[in-house]
Amino acid sequence: MISNYLDALADALSFDRSLSRRVRQEVEDHLRESVAGDPIDDRLEAERHAVANFGDPHVLAAQFAVVSLARRTRRVGVAVALAIAGVFGAMKARVAWYGVVQWTMDEEARALGARVLSIDRFAFWSAAVVGLGALGYINRGRIPSVFHPGCRKELRRALLLCVSATGFLVVSVMSDGVLTALRLGADLCPASVIPIISMAIEIVCVGVVIFLILDTMRRAASTEALPRR
Amino acid sequence: MEGEMLKGHLDMIVLAALAPGPAHGYAVIEEIRRKSGRAFNLPEGTVYPALHRLEQAGLLTSRWITAESGRRRRVYALTRRGDRALAERRAVWEQFSAAIGGLLKGAPPAGKPA
Repeated sequence: MISNYLDALADALSFDRSLSRRVRQEVEDHLRESVAGDPIDDRLEAERHAVANFGDPHVLAAQFAVVSLARRTRRVGVAVALAIAGVFGAMKARVAWYGVVQWTMDEEARALGARVLSIDRFAFWSAAVVGLGALGYINRGRIPSVFHPGCRKELRRALLLCVSATGFLVVSVMSDGVLTALRLGADLCPASVIPIISMAIEIVCVGVVIFLILDTMRRAASTEALPRR
Repeated sequence: MEGEMLKGHLDMIVLAALAPGPAHGYAVIEEIRRKSGRAFNLPEGTVYPALHRLEQAGLLTSRWITAESGRRRRVYALTRRGDRALAERRAVWEQFSAAIGGLLKGAPPAGKPA
């Protein structure tokens, strides 16, 4: 009886495997202790009592889903902010390196470079503003105790802000890629290592955020079937 | 007591049950039952999402221990923030309770309004 209940609960919590494992262990300890403390001699009946008193596993999974998705969304918000800081740092390091090695852009590439630079600046500062807005929105309130429709709307809004910030950041990183390619040209030399590494850092920052957003969206989608109480 | 009414105060109830010292989920529920004179009738499982939520909010901390039975057990304890949050919620509740009590008795409540 207890094993079946734990399986049902773990299955309902499959949107978050680490949470599912932890909750399963906690609940098993609870149910076994509850059975041990039940004065009824019939063990099966005691298990039935313990399970009935614990509650519907799907309702509990919905309550855990709020906590899990709130934690994931906060992680995405922080990751967006860190990615923006990472891209900014990489960008500044690259520009400083160009100064050190006195690396200038070819005359013919300069006009295109100026246009790309304006796109880059607009995209980066838009990412920074929207990203900070997303972080503020995500951290502004307490986690609700039930997964009501308003809670899902808030989650969608938070993710939408994070997606927008990441979209701007992707444009900024792509613009940085074009600018770097214009500077480096076809001839790579030892001094090209720093710009290439800084570009790799930017790409990794954006990649991590995209992965976290997709992962959170997938988890949120798999909680759709849980009861909204 | 009504489940919906209780749910609104579940965080405060759980924090209060942990005020005497660290405890695992089952002991928290037993403490709630004991202190409330078995007046609260929530599904026992409801306490666990609340424990996780309070831990995420930084009001509780938790760790695994091995119980005498040999089973792994998660033990929760109030953090300093949790202590402060409980004190704040207790003060608000006492004001609210005094105000409602006075209203129901038809007499003005003692102290500040809630």
